[in-house]
Amino acid sequence: MKNRHGWFLVSALLLLLAGCGGLKAPPSPATPAAGTAPSAEQPVPPAGEQAPPAPQTPQAAAENSIGALGPRPVMSENKAVIALLDRASSDNGAGKQDAAEASLERALRIEPRNPWLWLELARVRLARGQYAQAITLARKSNSFAGGRHRVQAENWQLIGQARVAQGDAAGAEQAFKRAEELARQAGDEH
Amino acid sequence: MTSSQTPPQDPTPAAEPTPAETANPAEETSQGETGGSVPPPKKSRFGIRLPGKRVRVAFLLLLLGLSGYVYYLDATIREAFEGRKFALPARVYGRALEVYPGLKLTREQLVEELKSLGYHDNPQLQEPGTYRLTMTGIEFTSRDFVFGDGSQVSQHLRAEFADGKVSALQTRGASDADLALFRLEPPLIGGIYPGHNEDRELVRLAEVPKQLTDALIATEDRKFYTHWGVDPRGVARAFVRTVTGQRVEGGSTLTQQLVKNFFLTSERTLTRKANEVLMSGLLELHYSKDEILETYLNEVFLGQDAGRAIHGFGLASYYYFDRPLERLAPQEVALLVGLVKGPVVYDPRRHPKEALARRNVVLQEMASQNVLPQAAAAAAIALPLGVVERAPAGTSPYPAFLQYVHRQLQRDYREEDLRSEGLRIFTTLDPFVQHQAEDALKSRLAEIERARRFKANTLEGAVVVSSTQNGEIQAMVGGRDARFAGFNRALDSERPIGSLAKPIVYLTALEDPQHYTLVTPLDDSPLVYRQRGAADWKPQNYERTFHDKVQLRVALAHSYNVATARLGIDLGVDRILDKLPQYGIERKPPPYASSLLGAYGLAPVEVAQMYQTFADGGFRTPLRAIRDVVAADGKPLQRYPLNVEPVAAPGPVYVLTAAMQGVVREGTAQAMTNYLPAEMNVAGKTGTTEDLRDSWFAGFTGNRVAVVWVGRDDNKPSGLTGASGAMTVWGEMMKNLPTEPVQPAMPEDVELVTVDPVTGVRYDEGCKSGMVLPFIKGSAPAETVPCAAGFAAASAAPAASAVAAASSVAPVQTTAAKPAVKQAEGKKSWFQRLFN
Repeated sequence: MKNRHGWFLVSALLLLLAGCGGLKAPPSPATPAAGTAPSAEQPVPPAGEQAPPAPQTPQAAAENSIGALGPRPVMSENKAVIALLDRASSDNGAGKQDAAEASLERALRIEPRNPWLWLELARVRLARGQYAQAITLARKSNSFAGGRHRVQAENWQLIGQARVAQGDAAGAEQAFKRAEELARQAGDEH
Repeated sequence: MTSSQTPPQDPTPAAEPTPAETANPAEETSQGETGGSVPPPKKSRFGIRLPGKRVRVAFLLLLLGLSGYVYYLDATIREAFEGRKFALPARVYGRALEVYPGLKLTREQLVEELKSLGYHDNPQLQEPGTYRLTMTGIEFTSRDFVFGDGSQVSQHLRAEFADGKVSALQTRGASDADLALFRLEPPLIGGIYPGHNEDRELVRLAEVPKQLTDALIATEDRKFYTHWGVDPRGVARAFVRTVTGQRVEGGSTLTQQLVKNFFLTSERTLTRKANEVLMSGLLELHYSKDEILETYLNEVFLGQDAGRAIHGFGLASYYYFDRPLERLAPQEVALLVGLVKGPVVYDPRRHPKEALARRNVVLQEMASQNVLPQAAAAAAIALPLGVVERAPAGTSPYPAFLQYVHRQLQRDYREEDLRSEGLRIFTTLDPFVQHQAEDALKSRLAEIERARRFKANTLEGAVVVSSTQNGEIQAMVGGRDARFAGFNRALDSERPIGSLAKPIVYLTALEDPQHYTLVTPLDDSPLVYRQRGAADWKPQNYERTFHDKVQLRVALAHSYNVATARLGIDLGVDRILDKLPQYGIERKPPPYASSLLGAYGLAPVEVAQMYQTFADGGFRTPLRAIRDVVAADGKPLQRYPLNVEPVAAPGPVYVLTAAMQGVVREGTAQAMTNYLPAEMNVAGKTGTTEDLRDSWFAGFTGNRVAVVWVGRDDNKPSGLTGASGAMTVWGEMMKNLPTEPVQPAMPEDVELVTVDPVTGVRYDEGCKSGMVLPFIKGSAPAETVPCAAGFAAASAAPAASAVAAASSVAPVQTTAAKPAVKQAEGKKSWFQRLFN
């Protein structure tokens, strides 16, 4: 499949680039179980001098900035929604994607404008390989984000991942850059 | 037997049988052998002529034929019984109510829902399906239920209410525990039935109370366990009755009744009876008494519910007593058994006296056969019928919605499977919304007819309501008589949509913000458009007036045809019409400019799809009526997931929404304030077609999209505009539903700018004589003009925020709206004074 090959190439490229910072190649749902080994080469900074910051791939940068934000804020004030999110999460972990989607849709009936719910639904679609749907759902999540940079960052990261899987490397890069920028803004807010 | 046979016609003379050739020794006479060439015809002992060879052959053939026939009957019976295939109808459920603390729900509404599920008020609360009211809340015991995504066991629950909301939710048990969420069973709203609209609820023999089978045998067939399928005396009786000219009836064993029900028509002839006897014998040959009895219990016809035939004791138990078989009292068992003889004649709801008498006969039979102790029987005889009152459901109280569901299913399932596999269909119908829609249509149409002195029942209508964010259809009304399963106008009535087509034109314009904003002046002067293949087109405004220049938002608010036509022509007719498929509209309108003004027909459900996309910020969610399909054994078969497509950029849709709010705030739908308060910021569009034949309103609140059509089936003018007809139905319905204000999230490329409502010049923020409107960034007028204090006093400037992003309006429970029509008219005339 064309997508698979394209991803493999990009993945290999990223592996090479992931060297200096000792970074893992970024995990992606389309990954064929490869590419998490860190590169062997690591330049040692001369004593007393700070090494210049290692160039990260946009995908890695996005992931790092979002990771640096720590755990998510409270996703909902409504306990019913939280209960359904928990259920969806455990179903998803157990590979029961239909059940996870059903729980997320139930939650969406209670809070139709909760961006986290749309993001989680987008994630399930991404895991299923429905990339176009994943992107649209992430956009829909963004439309409700209303200045909440954290969720916007995660949405753009997801869009990037979907585009990678679709073979749209340029679009993916744009998305990851946006994600990183938003994550930075979210970090500044704290 | 042989003496009545006639020898077959034969052209050549038959050879006489020689003595050596005679087949049957029994037929031979004892006259001894004769030699010679032409022996005389044989005679039997009784002096009867014996049949010739031809006759014997014929008899053999007949016997062969008869055995073949019997074999055929045998095969038929066995095939039917091996398969043991009872056609189980598909069961269709509405939405399951999800209860959680904070939900806007009153105790009365929850009780309504429980009642619709067949729950009973019962202080004991032991049985699933019971509830009782407490001081401020309610306790209830739920039933086991298998959902599309898992099963839920019966639980004891408690809910408290305050301020119109659920304030607490708990499970009760050894200790009470707070619950975050509880999903009630969904209400059964209909079924898709096998041919003849048969309905049944399968039971296994082991599940049927012994008392019932004993009573059945005592009443209908005492020798059931010993006979071989037929009771000879019964057959003899029937034969005698036929011969003496009476009707052939009665005397049937359970086996015979089963055969009659299962295979044969209801003719009552001798041949039919003979068949019945044969087949009963064969049945008993192959199957055990228990198997026959079980099949009988599930097959016997026990009642007629309008279009639906009730078969089997399992379903009859629910149909008459709303309880499963194992929970019936002796007199209830007796009633059901008594119905076997004549479910229509002894219908307890239609003929209670006869039903009671019949039931008591059965009770006495039960006593005399020791199925029931004498004392218990006597006590039972004294009790009333106890049959539950039941709303006549027919096959569904919601035929329009069911029809839509059925059509959606036909795309994925074969018709036979839909009707016979016992599928369980979980849908999106919300009975509360459905009732409001039905009531609003019915009451408003009647009022309009009264007020305008129309003959009663000349107007008809249709309503479709969906949820904004997930495209689920909550209500569908196909006509003013919602219970009637006739022409479904919501799905199949394609009327010209008129002005409902305009928002697409305006959206196309707003997608080009460098040239079109809400305040861009449009030309509403007379227009003659020459197009190839059609006559010159001269569109007219509703009031037959023209205007020189009008702001874009005003042209939409007042639905000026000429300005819209000119706008659409400038943008490109094809370009606009080519967008329609993206909105889910499959049919192609005629490629003429008149299509810009909606000179083509659409069904209300198609219009709903289009407006859904506006309401949802440019995302199209295909309207859904089904959530899941589950097999009879609980295995999930199919999900209909929530899918979304990006159709239009959110920025222009946001701006269009503001313009559509203008339609309601100061345009053709101003009278909405008679139904909903202004704070709801409803967005919508009225639609009136030529000669006032069709009255439309399509609009949305924060949580729902709804489309209403009103008109006459004979297509004569109704004299109603969109505002005076459909909009009043829309408003009446929404007024009674929990409604949220329209508050779309503002896209990144949109900014709010204060402008003069008349001239469109830009003011500083906060200028009181300006109005706040959304603009795509960079498209608002660049220069600012000092705030004009002069107009402020005279104008009573329109409310500040078109889309209240700044002042967040919390979701408000609809309160009674104050009629503000007069005030609005004042504004309008001021505006006209200045501009015309």
